[in-house]
Amino acid sequence: MNPAILITIMSTVVLGTMIVLFSSHWFMIWVGFEMNMLAIIPILMKKYNPRAMEASTKYFLTQATASMLLMLSIIINLLCSGHWTVSTIPNPVASTMITIALTMKLGLSPFHFWVPEVTQGISLSSGMILLTWQKIAPLSILYQISPSVNSNLLLMMAITSMLVGGWGGLNQTQLRKILAYSSITHMGWMAAIMVYNPTLAILNLTIYIMMTLGTFMLFMHSSSTTTLSLSYTWNKFPLMAPLILMLMLSLGGLPPLSGFIPKWMIIQELTKNDMIIMPTLMAITALLNLYFYTRLTYTTALTMFPATNNMKMKWQFKTTKKTTLLAPLIVTSTMLLPLTPMLAALD
Amino acid sequence: MMTYIVSILSIVFVVSFAGFSSKPSPIYGGLVLIVSGGVGCGIVLSFGGSFLGLMVFLIYLGGMLVVFGYTTAMATEQYPEVWLSNKAVLGAFIVGLLSELLSVCYILKDDEAEVVFKFNGMGDWVIYDTGDSGIFSEEAMGIAALYSYGTWLVIVTGWSLLIGVLVIMEVTRGN
Repeated sequence: MNPAILITIMSTVVLGTMIVLFSSHWFMIWVGFEMNMLAIIPILMKKYNPRAMEASTKYFLTQATASMLLMLSIIINLLCSGHWTVSTIPNPVASTMITIALTMKLGLSPFHFWVPEVTQGISLSSGMILLTWQKIAPLSILYQISPSVNSNLLLMMAITSMLVGGWGGLNQTQLRKILAYSSITHMGWMAAIMVYNPTLAILNLTIYIMMTLGTFMLFMHSSSTTTLSLSYTWNKFPLMAPLILMLMLSLGGLPPLSGFIPKWMIIQELTKNDMIIMPTLMAITALLNLYFYTRLTYTTALTMFPATNNMKMKWQFKTTKKTTLLAPLIVTSTMLLPLTPMLAALD
Repeated sequence: MMTYIVSILSIVFVVSFAGFSSKPSPIYGGLVLIVSGGVGCGIVLSFGGSFLGLMVFLIYLGGMLVVFGYTTAMATEQYPEVWLSNKAVLGAFIVGLLSELLSVCYILKDDEAEVVFKFNGMGDWVIYDTGDSGIFSEEAMGIAALYSYGTWLVIVTGWSLLIGVLVIMEVTRGN
């Protein structure tokens, strides 16, 4: 893509999310969502193959439907409350519809069907933007309306998202689909705590973004999109193998890595609110996710897949790919646990 | 007839919306869109918004839809689908018309209808004189406000339109 156009379109993606974050008028929030969606379509279509075009079309259709639902619920809110300010929503119909629209944008179950297909059809860098930056805007609106969100609806969506994300990712060998199901699960964790303590949802989002960015960057560095190509990492980039191990275990939520922080705080907040069955179910379904993360770790860092003999004689070249921000991302994705008291108090 | 002009225009508006929502070929959809856009402008004009109605007519119908019509004419197929040639399209059109007719009868019977909020006949939607712009046209005041208080809105919409053009050109470049 022409560099000038690429800069303009990327800055519009950022500008769209910024408008959503900084507006207090519901109409401007809708405008921000539309601008964001419009500008990310050519980024998703970087490669001009039919797979990428189909993925972009699916993304556009689901996000446009969600924006239409959002606009309808904004008008219903206007009719019932008489103002356009983003605050708690008195009308239950409008509140439910806004929740459904935002969860469609996030990819929560039962609106999760587009996430694996879209993530698989696009390049790794586009998938990185899709699964991290695009989650910020809807979650910020959910944060702002969280006092009036129907808790039954959101908790139902959360637990089904965790189940879908866990079971869906079990049979996958394509890395992009694995990360898509991981995204569905993490969005489920964020939705679960949004009703009780929205600060922890933002904390979860921050740590999830750092971990996913690090994972995507490691995959892009070795250009690996399948488990098989990831299993050659010990030969191509020996240092990357333990890094993938750390990141995968952090995504799975194991202490003492920073992926444990959101899970720990969320379960603590849920038990403070007299919920026992729900956090138990959540912790158990997190095991499903942990299974396929450890499977990736196993193939990358812990075993040597059967390979041809001349692999052992590979000439190790110095890498020419830029690894921008990879080291800080990996450090923050794995070593933030001692900072938990400070992170839980951020608002 | 002038007392019922808004009613007649609204009926044509709704019927033509049902017409293009039943998804005929884009040529015929564009034709019905022009008709519905035209009567929509007529409704806006009947309520005193002369500037806005003329803007929609000139820019939307006379600019954007003309370009849409030309591009569709270049890309159309040999036997385009019309409402009478395809049972699915005809069925969808009839379903749309029937549901509109049913909701009209429902409203006329009880004089009120409740879907999400209560619609109590035309009394709810009469435009009362609020605010202190007594002798000025509210429509002109709104357009003027767009360029004084609403500067940010102009910037955002202008940028969105530019990005729309860039995105569409980037998507259809195809190499």
